[in-house]
Amino acid sequence: MLWIALHLPLLSLESFAATLGAAQQALPIALLDGKQLSAANRAARQLGVRPGLKRSTALALAPQLLFGQADAAREAQARLALAHAALEFTPSVSLHGAQGVLLEVQPSLRAFGGMARLLQRLQDSAAALAHTLRFATAPTAQGAALLAQWAREPQEIVGPHTTDLAALRRLLDGAPVSLLDAAREHCAVLQGMGLHTLAALRALPREGLARRFGEALLTELDRARGDSPDPREAVLLPETFESRLELFARADTAEQLLHGAQILLARLLAWARARQARVARFTLVMQHEPRHRGGDGTPGSTELEVALAEASNDAAHLQSLLRERLGRLPLPAPALELRLRCRDLVHRAAPNHELFPTRASEHEGLTHLLERLQARLGPAQVQRLQRVADHRPERATVWQPLDAATPVREPPAALPSLPKLTRPVWLLDTPQSLQEQRAQPLLEGRPLQLLAGPERIETGWWDGAPAARDYFVAQAQGGALVWVFRTRLPKSAAAEGWFLHGRFA
Amino acid sequence: MPPAVLRPPPVRAPGGGASSLRPAHAAAPCTVAPAPETLHPALWRAHQLVRPRDAALATGFAQLDAELPGGGWPRRVLTELLLPHPGVGEMRLLAPALATLAQAQRSVMLFDPPAALCGWALGQLGVDLQQLVVVHGREGSRGAALRHLLASADLLWALEQALKSGHVGAVLAWLPERLRADALRRLQLAAQAHDGPVFLLRGIDSRLKPSAAPLRLALHAGAPDELWVRLLKRRGPPLAQPLKLVLPPVLAPAQRARALAARVPVAAPPRVAVAQARDA
Repeated sequence: MLWIALHLPLLSLESFAATLGAAQQALPIALLDGKQLSAANRAARQLGVRPGLKRSTALALAPQLLFGQADAAREAQARLALAHAALEFTPSVSLHGAQGVLLEVQPSLRAFGGMARLLQRLQDSAAALAHTLRFATAPTAQGAALLAQWAREPQEIVGPHTTDLAALRRLLDGAPVSLLDAAREHCAVLQGMGLHTLAALRALPREGLARRFGEALLTELDRARGDSPDPREAVLLPETFESRLELFARADTAEQLLHGAQILLARLLAWARARQARVARFTLVMQHEPRHRGGDGTPGSTELEVALAEASNDAAHLQSLLRERLGRLPLPAPALELRLRCRDLVHRAAPNHELFPTRASEHEGLTHLLERLQARLGPAQVQRLQRVADHRPERATVWQPLDAATPVREPPAALPSLPKLTRPVWLLDTPQSLQEQRAQPLLEGRPLQLLAGPERIETGWWDGAPAARDYFVAQAQGGALVWVFRTRLPKSAAAEGWFLHGRFA
Repeated sequence: MPPAVLRPPPVRAPGGGASSLRPAHAAAPCTVAPAPETLHPALWRAHQLVRPRDAALATGFAQLDAELPGGGWPRRVLTELLLPHPGVGEMRLLAPALATLAQAQRSVMLFDPPAALCGWALGQLGVDLQQLVVVHGREGSRGAALRHLLASADLLWALEQALKSGHVGAVLAWLPERLRADALRRLQLAAQAHDGPVFLLRGIDSRLKPSAAPLRLALHAGAPDELWVRLLKRRGPPLAQPLKLVLPPVLAPAQRARALAARVPVAAPPRVAVAQARDA
């Protein structure tokens, strides 16, 4: 057994900072627990603010200090996202204490190319969640967790690393007693007894220790040293993803919303990667401010559904889609809380990346491009043409909004040689009525010279839009060719006479 | 800073620039200066056509190929086509190039076409409808009253995205005459990532305004199934004479002869446009 322990020393502070806007994150921030400070960020510490100070003392030191409340549920969500990111590498991931995540990685080492690479990849995938992490590896779960918490230097990222039980026991012997969870409340007593290291604790008779400090202390120590079994409950991946983020300040611009949604997207992708799938569709729910609710008819929340033509795990792509959609979305009221939901995953293998551009990679790039265009312009504005077998020119071509990714078609066997053109490229939406002079149609005051025709189109009597027209190719003033028709058997005076219907381009 | 490498001073050919036009063996053997156009592909003389790095896309009209730098529609740069009104034969001019792209299974994107397109006509021109994507600006899909005056920011954005992505085979965009110069310059920069031709189709009145596009053509319908092309700007010497291209015909030969015979009083249309361009 080989365990990696991740310890999040700044979890409560970082999960609070995620709810802030981009501008506020650089401010000195402190978390309040009752009247005392429980944590302070680096900017605050530089001003002399330390955890344990009273609120008023801290305000005297740094008047611009931003106070937040520690929220256990928020921290649990943030840590769960990290556990999901870890599930990409091993199926047995468990939570430890309030700030730890444990991974059993012995069976995964070979697949990921050794410990160093695995750690690197773990660090890379956890980077999107923006947490300060401390790593340690040990042959026991409890031992790894203790080592990860044991910061000999404050800025250390990779803590002690050992794969050998004897080495772990030697390391633990030198560790301070206060590392053990069960020893926290007895810290002063233990210090008074002169027990500073775990070695000193172990040297005492077990019965006496158990009587004075409880069984838990011994159990914890035994598990860390590998003397007693240490069953762990594995984190299970939920079938559907839902994560929420309560914003610190009201968000009313797309940028502010996007900033908050970024961390939710990172969590979503951690979940999707752990399920070895790609996101096909997700929903962002924006909960509005309560006093805007009800009375004036504003809804309690706005939902924004983003569907992808081709499922993706690319954070930048999802963000750009969301940015375009949010930019277009009118918000009835400022948002206070964001929720991200996802049910639709695609479990197919991801398409391979190509070294050189090929048809397949171009097709994929094109799909991404069209998705971006549709996200900003609206799905109906990106269209494809389709030919329909109908003699009426206005019905012979249909505009279709582009929806799903169309398959790459096989190239046509042979390109037909250019035949004589019989239809103009440009068709007018509604035929333009033309004046008539001496049985000749006029375009812009000049007579049109009819060159070819008539081509009689008489059809559509069965579907309510009958057409009975004689089409002519005519030459306009500058030599350009236009397509005009004369209605036969007109039903009304407005439908009588000559009409311009197209231009040969 | 490392010391500069010392080179002998360049030997100047006697008589200045005129001598370099002579064949190399005419000058004294010790003073041969290499012709500038052989030094770097980006150098060319004013009387020569530039040789672009990327192979150009043949236009399908030999007469036009001969006058275009690289022998066809250039890739990675803007090509402006200026027309008096839609429907002078511009699609028939571009169709052979688009058909070539369709054969290579590359997509063609049309931005804000001026009217509805007839799929059958495009099919007859050899354009693959499966590869064709039409993008409209946001305000009203077709026939918006203001569209020919002001380009929508969305459409320019979409155009730039399409060019930058580099996954599109050819881009045709109908842009208004009133277009800020920096917008064109932006597009020209974005086009460098685009491996294919970019055609901007604009009104003929914009020929008087400067443009970042290295190739500008004014199109004019001379007679039925004929297109007069005037090269307003190219990387090479100016071309005074407009080119007369014979387009894929709509009319049968007999009908065309009838049309030509009847249109004597309104002949020689391009002359007025030429005079105006010179004045500018």
